[in-house]
Amino acid sequence: MFKKVLIANRGEIALRVIRACRDLGLRSVAVHSTADADSLHVRFADEKVCIGPPPARQSYLNIPALISAAEVTGADAIHPGYGFLAENAEFAEVVQKCGLHWIGPQPEVMRTMGDKVSARKAMEAAGVPVVPGSPIIETDKQAEAAIERIGFPVIIKATGGGGGRGMKIVEDKSRLFSQLAAARSEAQAGFNNPAVYMERYIGRPRHIEVQVLGDGQSALALGERECSIQRRHQKLIEEAPSVALDDARRIELLRVARKATAAIGYKTVGTLEFLLDENKQFFFIEMNTRIQVEHTVTEMVFGVDLVREQMRLAAGDPLHMPTEMRPRGHAIELRINAEDPVTFAPSPGTITALNLPGGIGIRVDTHIYAHYRVPPFYDSLLAKLVAHGDNRNVALARMRRALDEVVVEGIKTNCDLHRRVLNHPDFIGGRFDTHFLERL
Amino acid sequence: MSKRKAPVAAAKKSTSASREECACECQIVDLERLRELAEIATEFDLAEIELDACGGVRVVRRAAGAPAPVAAAPLPPPVHLAAPAEKAAKPAETGTLITSPFVGTFYRAPAPESPAFTDVGQTVRKGQVVCIVEAMKLMNEIESEFDGKVVEILVKNSEHVEYGQPLFRIEKA
Repeated sequence: MFKKVLIANRGEIALRVIRACRDLGLRSVAVHSTADADSLHVRFADEKVCIGPPPARQSYLNIPALISAAEVTGADAIHPGYGFLAENAEFAEVVQKCGLHWIGPQPEVMRTMGDKVSARKAMEAAGVPVVPGSPIIETDKQAEAAIERIGFPVIIKATGGGGGRGMKIVEDKSRLFSQLAAARSEAQAGFNNPAVYMERYIGRPRHIEVQVLGDGQSALALGERECSIQRRHQKLIEEAPSVALDDARRIELLRVARKATAAIGYKTVGTLEFLLDENKQFFFIEMNTRIQVEHTVTEMVFGVDLVREQMRLAAGDPLHMPTEMRPRGHAIELRINAEDPVTFAPSPGTITALNLPGGIGIRVDTHIYAHYRVPPFYDSLLAKLVAHGDNRNVALARMRRALDEVVVEGIKTNCDLHRRVLNHPDFIGGRFDTHFLERL
Repeated sequence: MSKRKAPVAAAKKSTSASREECACECQIVDLERLRELAEIATEFDLAEIELDACGGVRVVRRAAGAPAPVAAAPLPPPVHLAAPAEKAAKPAETGTLITSPFVGTFYRAPAPESPAFTDVGQTVRKGQVVCIVEAMKLMNEIESEFDGKVVEILVKNSEHVEYGQPLFRIEKA
């Protein structure tokens, strides 16, 4: 095991990693921009280094500054958190070339899984169902041939894209060619890469993902998470397990995910994301080669510290958990964001009063405190509110109670939006898909 | 770090008794009162004003030497004079800072045997190299952005520095 971990991130996830370091007896180094000097991760780490001015490009995305910070503090490992450089294979390579441990999967696996086309190919080869789709479409003739196999409706996606940008849905042939042309120019403008491909469009999918762990040889699927409550591909509420899967489907999904993870020789923790269609067929969409925001719900139902496992696996320890673990009860996570609950506009500023909930079954992961100034430079996540109970109803009741105890004054939060979702009969009844919030 | 030119007035409670422990009917020493006292201290070049527990002025000492009195005893934290007053008692800092443009290791000379680029009391010109910050095996020469005199070197040779950390205090010419 390494001795000192530099956390190349900020906010709640930096704090999460520092806590795991403490529990493992490792020293931690926080890095921060000048805008985050008063942040809790800076306060609670063993050492801290200011790496640059507020813009992320000059601080949290600044590879030379991060490596230099590791050098001057004598850190021997780097944890990237999520976002920023977490899925940047080049950074992972630089870290390793500098003789440091990279707390993540192998750079070549990151590269394969980071590209949608090569990821899809790798998953197909491992026997994972993928959404019927096409190779890169360059001509109208290729498009017609692809439609023969896939069938309408289709969605056009950019190979270099992400986060839902540059996607177009086509219902019938009349608009196919014009939409392909538009998607190409948008992809060129947005990602400097005009390559696009098509996939069957699933109208009312649920987003189900599987937490996986691997040691390079063997792999483990640690249950699923349902993340269908999202807005513009930004997840807002996640839960484990999913109410949409019966035992047979779940066993099949986890078996496929575990097999695929082993097949690519995956090391550390990751997530395979799937869409579940109305016929309960699941299709692989992408892999996240890092720890995820919503890893907490998996931790709650399995009683596992995923960040600790991630560090152990990065240090070369073998998987030591039993392959068949069963979740205990149900967990739900709400992402409390600094944003207007109606317009979703970000709401930075100073928190003038704060109360965070507690009590049985409640976990709060956050970097905020009273009088903390939410900087305008980074994402709007303020806190992750997690409720755990013996079953979904108990977890929901605890979550409603916890949400009512949340007091954040001085800035706007999306708490009211969460309240509306938690009290919605369709959410309570488990009848929802990824378009739930748009219809709310 | 920031420039503070006001000489420091030290208002000090002679006892550390909290308000509850105090037998007499205390007056709260508020910030307004402190500011008043600070102004008086400046005007009459006083180094210390001592207040008794009831807020009355008890002892006043005249500043001893010529230069502005530095670093009087920090205010005791209890009750009414907490955080803002502490700031007011920080030592005065003059001059302009040269700060580190990135994370790295600070070197005062181009090589271990070489003489330092500059030293306290020496003048520097705009564009003159004053130190090296090594980052990722690259030696980056740091230049002064103005003419002036080195008042203080704030980092020891081969110490680690972070982004924005003050390296030199320069009195601008």
